Amino acid sequence: MKISIFKIGTSLLGLAAIFSLSGCNSYNRLVILEQNVNKKWADVQSVYQRRADLIPNLVNTVAGSANFEKSTLTEVTNARASVGRVQLDPNKAPEDAEQLKKFQAAQGQLSNALSRLLVVSENYPQLRATEAFQNLQAQLEGTENRISVERNNYNSAVQDLNTALERFPTNMLNKMFGFKPRAFFQAETGSEKAPTVNFNFGSPAPAPAATAAPTP
Amino acid sequence: METNLKLAQRDPRGITRHRRLFPGSARASRAVCGVPAVNVSATEEGNTHRNSFTSRSVRRGAERCTRGRVRSPILQLSFAGALLILLAVRAHAAEVIPPKPDSYFNDYAGVVSRGAVERLNTRLAQFERDTSDQVVVAVYQKMQSESSIEDYAQRIAQTWQVGQKDKRNGVVLLVFLDDRKSSIQVGYGLEGALPDITAYDIRERHMNPHFRKGDYEGGLSEAVDLICKAIRGEYKGSGRANAESRSGNGGTAGLLVFLFVLVIFLLAVRASRRFGGYRYTGGGGPFVSGNWGSGGGWSSGSSGGGFGSFSSGGGSFGGGGSSGSW
Repeated sequence: MKISIFKIGTSLLGLAAIFSLSGCNSYNRLVILEQNVNKKWADVQSVYQRRADLIPNLVNTVAGSANFEKSTLTEVTNARASVGRVQLDPNKAPEDAEQLKKFQAAQGQLSNALSRLLVVSENYPQLRATEAFQNLQAQLEGTENRISVERNNYNSAVQDLNTALERFPTNMLNKMFGFKPRAFFQAETGSEKAPTVNFNFGSPAPAPAATAAPTP
Repeated sequence: METNLKLAQRDPRGITRHRRLFPGSARASRAVCGVPAVNVSATEEGNTHRNSFTSRSVRRGAERCTRGRVRSPILQLSFAGALLILLAVRAHAAEVIPPKPDSYFNDYAGVVSRGAVERLNTRLAQFERDTSDQVVVAVYQKMQSESSIEDYAQRIAQTWQVGQKDKRNGVVLLVFLDDRKSSIQVGYGLEGALPDITAYDIRERHMNPHFRKGDYEGGLSEAVDLICKAIRGEYKGSGRANAESRSGNGGTAGLLVFLFVLVIFLLAVRASRRFGGYRYTGGGGPFVSGNWGSGGGWSSGSSGGGFGSFSSGGGSFGGGGSSGSW
């Protein structure tokens, strides 16, 4: 029985059409997911930037109060500077998990410095009573909330993209078009241990001559 | 008793009628199957009705009868174990997001007078008509979550999707009486008009003093007042609340009607195939298309609820606002 060339040709053409159409669909879906991940990454960056911008204001308010422990303040300023050094591309979500870890570590250092500052300020009730300080505290809390929300949104978006990249027919497109899975925000190392808080109850020296109190 | 025991000892076939039989045990099964009684093997030639209506225990022989026995004690134990585990899991507290409320001002704990509830609800409904911002207040007795108040409140606000989808202009004020915690969640679009400091100010300096005195109604109405004052002017409303403007669309009622009609159409096609073969149910055509129009018309009465009811617009929340205890 002769199989006509025409029939083979049309069926091959049909198969090719189906494959390319479904390939187009998958590719477009991946593009959408990737753009979503990049957008969420930009949101995360903007929220971290917001916190970084609050820091100078906070430092000024606190330093203005009588004899606040200088070491805590310098710690915050230094952490803020080190955050500025670890820069990740804000337009593209990171693919390298190590890079993201470094970024997270720098931000975590700043978080720790800020929480230590707030703890130390418990010793200065006059400072805490001022409206400026309370407003700053409210802003910092709000920023921390925003950071947490945006990180969760980013992680969901990355999960969607990574899952789509792993699924069977689509994962063949990865190598062809250069889609790469992205890194997640992990829980910070050591966060499973509750922080130890040492209250330094040394009284703040009243005379302006006394400068840095000894650090705990 | 002694005579019975002696009976048992004497009987070589071991009838154990006088000891307690636990249902499901092997001994009970033997009693049910009548082990001593059926000595006759079912494979004797005389038994011509072997495969028709004789019971399985007779066919297999009494020794292999397991009627009444628990076939697999392991299975029984594993079911019991699974049941215990399920019960234990249910006892553990999981986070519960309360269901979306129907009105703008919701007092689920009963601490605000009905007059105030009506007044505030009307006011917030009118506020949505004027500015398209959705402000929802909900007072609960207790937090159903182990998380912190800000995380829980953000999740609630995000689930309820308060605020319009494109403008994201929602504000949710949550109060939990037993935990003495309150939270103002501000949508993305209103973070400029109601920043964290203002939310903190409203909560801490205006609402909490009332709450500390037990004056929930006063605190809540002042908070609503200040929130509206802060965000008024940011967006322009369309003159209609979301609940009222949605009633023109098909919504879910139209979809249900369509599915119902589809099912009827398919049944009609099947019925016609049985009788006539290739007779196309042309009668189904105009019937179906006619119903689509009326389906849309029906839903205009059903969805939307009453005047002053809240219908979410799809807004999202980024964690802005302020939370704390009083």
